Amino acid sequence: MSDSRPIPSLLYFAAAFGAGGLLSLMVLFNGTLAIYGSLLFASWVPHLTGTMLAIAILLVLRPRRASTFRPPLWAYLGGIAGGVTVMLTSATMNTALALSGTIALGLAGQVLFSLFADMRGLFGLPQRMPKPRDYLALALIIAGSLVLIFLGGAP
Amino acid sequence: MIGFAALALLAGVLVSLSRQVNGRLALSTSAWESSFWNHIVGLGFVTLAAVLFGGLFAGAPMEAPWWAYLGGPVGVVFIAAGSWLIARIGAAQTALLIIAGQMISGVVLDVLMGTAGNTWARIIGIVLILAGMWVSRSAKD
Repeated sequence: MSDSRPIPSLLYFAAAFGAGGLLSLMVLFNGTLAIYGSLLFASWVPHLTGTMLAIAILLVLRPRRASTFRPPLWAYLGGIAGGVTVMLTSATMNTALALSGTIALGLAGQVLFSLFADMRGLFGLPQRMPKPRDYLALALIIAGSLVLIFLGGAP
Repeated sequence: MIGFAALALLAGVLVSLSRQVNGRLALSTSAWESSFWNHIVGLGFVTLAAVLFGGLFAGAPMEAPWWAYLGGPVGVVFIAAGSWLIARIGAAQTALLIIAGQMISGVVLDVLMGTAGNTWARIIGIVLILAGMWVSRSAKD
């Protein structure tokens, strides 16, 4: 498989960074909802309104299917992993780990499993080997994140 | 404690797993369709959990500010973006850039909303993250 890895174009770069911004807004909105309602409610409502908006988008944009081959059935189950995530994080947030520990360990799990998946080409996605510069970027971004998570709060 | 740490780690693994599975679906369909399935399957799952555990409407959810109800629409775009990106730049690159964007916009939101915080730690954290993005973007091997 290819081990040469093009530098992501500016569009990909900006899209991923912007998606991170959207995630901050989601955390703020859903977290605020959880202050007033139950944790289940704060996960149920965004799934409900999200489903309605997604249907509207599909009806208006009518995106064409990339392949005439049917995807495997398990490919439809990504939403379950997302639902379990909400339950796990709300369970650990209220332990000695607190929010900062929960977020930091979540980042670690995410990055380690992503690297593993890239190296193995899991789930039918392209296989790619990280290069030294990728590890340096990873170390810097994770170090910065840990500084913000553990030291960025009020002194 | 170790058990809870393992659960928090597992939550991160599941975030990545979910993005990969959605990305695989988008390869055969489209990023928007993948986001639709993610939401409707997740809705079924959370509804089932609500039926089993109860307490869905506990508290005073109607007293929340109106904008707290906007997480769903934002999530549709977020999931579509992740599904689209992961097949193009890989799981690790997608995860890292999303984390970078989340961390930096989180500080911006905190500053805008006047949340107290350690200014120096915020500056150092953001500089480290920007340096990491610069390395990942500009350096050639």
